[in-house]
Amino acid sequence: MRDARRQTIADIILALLVSAGAGLLFIGAAELPPPRFEPLGSAALPRILGALLIFFAVLLVIRGLLRLRAGHVTEVARSDADPRRGALVFVALVAYVAALDFGRLPFVPVTTVFVIATGLAIGARTWANVAVFAGVGLGLSLAISTILERFLYITIG
Amino acid sequence: MLDAFTALFEWQNLLFLTIGTGLGIVVGAIPGLTASMLIALTLPLTFHMDPVSAVTLLIGEYVGGISGGLITAILLRMPGTPASIVTTFDGYPMAQKGLAERALALGIMASVVGGIISWGFLAGMSPALARFALQFGPWEYFTLVLMALVMLAVLSQGSMIKGLMAAALGMAFALPGIDSSIGQARLTFGSSAMLSGFGLLPVLIGAFAISQILRDAATPQASGKMDMPTARLPIYRSDIRYAGKLIRGSVIGTWIGLLPGIGANIAALVSYSTEKQLSKEPEKFGTGHEPGVVAAESANNASIGGALIPLITMGIPGSVTEAILIGALTIHNLQPGPLLFQSAPEIAYGIIAAYLVANVLMLMLMWGAVRYIARIVQLPRSGLMAVILVFCVTGSYAVNSSFVDVWVMIGFGLVGLGLEYCRVPLGPFVIGFVLSPIAEEQLRASLMMSDGNLMEITSRPYALVFLALALATVLWPYIAARLGARARAGHAKDAT
Repeated sequence: MRDARRQTIADIILALLVSAGAGLLFIGAAELPPPRFEPLGSAALPRILGALLIFFAVLLVIRGLLRLRAGHVTEVARSDADPRRGALVFVALVAYVAALDFGRLPFVPVTTVFVIATGLAIGARTWANVAVFAGVGLGLSLAISTILERFLYITIG
Repeated sequence: MLDAFTALFEWQNLLFLTIGTGLGIVVGAIPGLTASMLIALTLPLTFHMDPVSAVTLLIGEYVGGISGGLITAILLRMPGTPASIVTTFDGYPMAQKGLAERALALGIMASVVGGIISWGFLAGMSPALARFALQFGPWEYFTLVLMALVMLAVLSQGSMIKGLMAAALGMAFALPGIDSSIGQARLTFGSSAMLSGFGLLPVLIGAFAISQILRDAATPQASGKMDMPTARLPIYRSDIRYAGKLIRGSVIGTWIGLLPGIGANIAALVSYSTEKQLSKEPEKFGTGHEPGVVAAESANNASIGGALIPLITMGIPGSVTEAILIGALTIHNLQPGPLLFQSAPEIAYGIIAAYLVANVLMLMLMWGAVRYIARIVQLPRSGLMAVILVFCVTGSYAVNSSFVDVWVMIGFGLVGLGLEYCRVPLGPFVIGFVLSPIAEEQLRASLMMSDGNLMEITSRPYALVFLALALATVLWPYIAARLGARARAGHAKDAT
């Protein structure tokens, strides 16, 4: 895909999301009481920011469409990036936090498994790496839980 | 000031400063990891520290983080931080000629001199500037914050519209929670979890660390042949000939650091270009010319001292890292600004003292351990990322012992990733988030004092100057383009 087109689509999606966010600001501001003790009131800034966001979103869409119309096209540089690896790390992170929060699973084993999973998602999948990541994960989780529980009186997991 | 140095030399403060500087150098040397990310990650730890120790740790990380970038810039041509991009121009060619040790020695020496000279400005100007800023009222503060925000948004890399949008978006994310003026919930949509709003730490860690790691995880580790420094780092008596260049680079760096939104990388670039223009041998720049390394490294380190001046005297951040430092002070119930010198002089002068000592520690650590740091940089990053993610989760959780903050962190990680994908700069977003409560508070106070009369601003000259500068920053690109087009048309007419 050509860069200008992809960038314009991304800009339009961004403008839509920002406009939706601005809409939320207006809805939230409408529920707030009018100012009583001071001239500005707590609804003023949400309204100002909402209006600004919509203004910028409109400018972004207009600029994107003008760019497309002008035919600014540049080939995208080839990238070695593999978004699946990033997605795997994200899934591992969400699963890790969910296991600690909803599952109430103990911190040390869950953290060890998380470090192994993340390390393998990014690095080479070899048995040697499994052993290294397991050691790192176990050492790290033991150190963190000791500091949190002994010194800061915080229990996690 | 003497008391600040005495406090700094207490063993625990010196230890935190050394740890901070060392950590900063290592993180700064690793491409992809930045000082802002390190400071955001260590902020939760400072909750349980006394404010002086916390500040010394963070200042050490900041100085180390900017300085460490020169190691990989010279040895690998991969700047550890954006501030060291210009160092690659001559540092890497020097390394290729077998002069890696010499390039490192000059880079470290220039960094330290830059730091010490900008410390002179910081120590000399800050108390006087803070006294001057005491004249400011809410109108001046509101317009000053507005000016800083607009400058940061406009001068950040990429599109101006996106920079301004990022700032407005950051400000909007700071709105939910209890409105302190009327004690009523605002934009919480009935959720009790939203009553305390989005915490600063989860937002910072999410926007900087999580989004960075998710992005880095998708890209393969950059590999390059690194010639490890083996001999001792050579510095000669004749290097005194670089004194003028060092002073020039340091002064340029300090003054550019003072301006919000420009940053250490631009400071290095301006210093490098100036040196090249003034040189009798401009053709040698870019081929491994020693003055190139000196100019770049003195300026990028000096910009830190410059940026700390508006931070401690007026509470205005010059970059994302300073915005995080403002957050760190706020966490400790300290308000950066002119009153800091009166309400918490140990912190205001502590920052100044820590900055100087951090530069000296940086010299000692880098001089003694540069070859070991270079080895750490080559470790596989898969394990490192997993470890950082665990720190992100535990750091966000430890703030309030709540998983809500951890989910907020993950959410802002996705927001950061999305913004980066759409080429929206993250800096103005985070700075907007930090400055939003200050801007709103000052605007409300201004309007209360003037009975809602907006025209009151016309009787405040400083406020008008700040407003005019903000407006000029937005309009300047269009004016410059129009003037450029007119000049080109004039030249074309002359040619025909």
